[in-house]
Amino acid sequence: MGSRGASMVLSRANRIRSKLQTALEATILEVDDVSYQHAGHAAMKENSSDNKETHFNLKIVSPKYEGQNLVKRHRMVYDLLSDELSSGLHALSIVAKTPHETTASK
Amino acid sequence: MTSHLHVYMGTLILEKMAGLTYCIALSSSSYYGMRYFSTVSNDPDTHDDFKPATKHESSGISLSDVVEKDVKDNPVMIYMKGVPDFPQCGFSSLAVRVLKHYDAPLSARNILEDPELKSAVKAFSHWPTFPQIFIKGEFVGGSDIILNMHQNGELKELLKDIKSNQ
Repeated sequence: MGSRGASMVLSRANRIRSKLQTALEATILEVDDVSYQHAGHAAMKENSSDNKETHFNLKIVSPKYEGQNLVKRHRMVYDLLSDELSSGLHALSIVAKTPHETTASK
Repeated sequence: MTSHLHVYMGTLILEKMAGLTYCIALSSSSYYGMRYFSTVSNDPDTHDDFKPATKHESSGISLSDVVEKDVKDNPVMIYMKGVPDFPQCGFSSLAVRVLKHYDAPLSARNILEDPELKSAVKAFSHWPTFPQIFIKGEFVGGSDIILNMHQNGELKELLKDIKSNQ
């Protein structure tokens, strides 16, 4: 997962993408920065101007979710992104499915 | 230490008696009501139960005990930003809107008012974000999960035996 030096330069969106992709072997991975939708709310005002990547919508389809309930699927994401959550990432909206579930719903 | 507990339980009971059938917002009214007591109740005639409640650290009741008791005593417990009638975050607002579809009484605490409570809830559930919803003592998840459970019928199933009994 890249050197420390490299990860400092990458945007948070890119770090999220690479961490999730590597660990979850996602077949579909969408990372949308929606921080602008939350720019006004209280907790965000304290953030410095260089820390704008606070809210993301994630869509993840991963075979590793097979047999896991939603709480466990979300926990896997939170655990993988714990460094981000402790360094300014504020909230995630997560859609977490197995490959089987995406084909079944179509 | 016991007086703290009495105040805490007393306000809970008072709110239930007051017939707040739908939404019992513990946080802004009762939970912090304790703090407001301290400005008026140094009167020596005040009953022990109504004497100023000390802060959690010195009271002998830790915040993790408060959380444990909350989720045990309240069939639907939400820790949120703001209060149910005035959520201060889109995710908390969404979760409350979902839960209000059901007949079950909703109990809430506002974590924006108490950073220590916020940390205690996070440590209790091992979950980093808010809102956090507990049903029948079990951690259920945040707004994405509660919405999902609403859409797929799981929430209806889970809440069917919890009815407002006021």
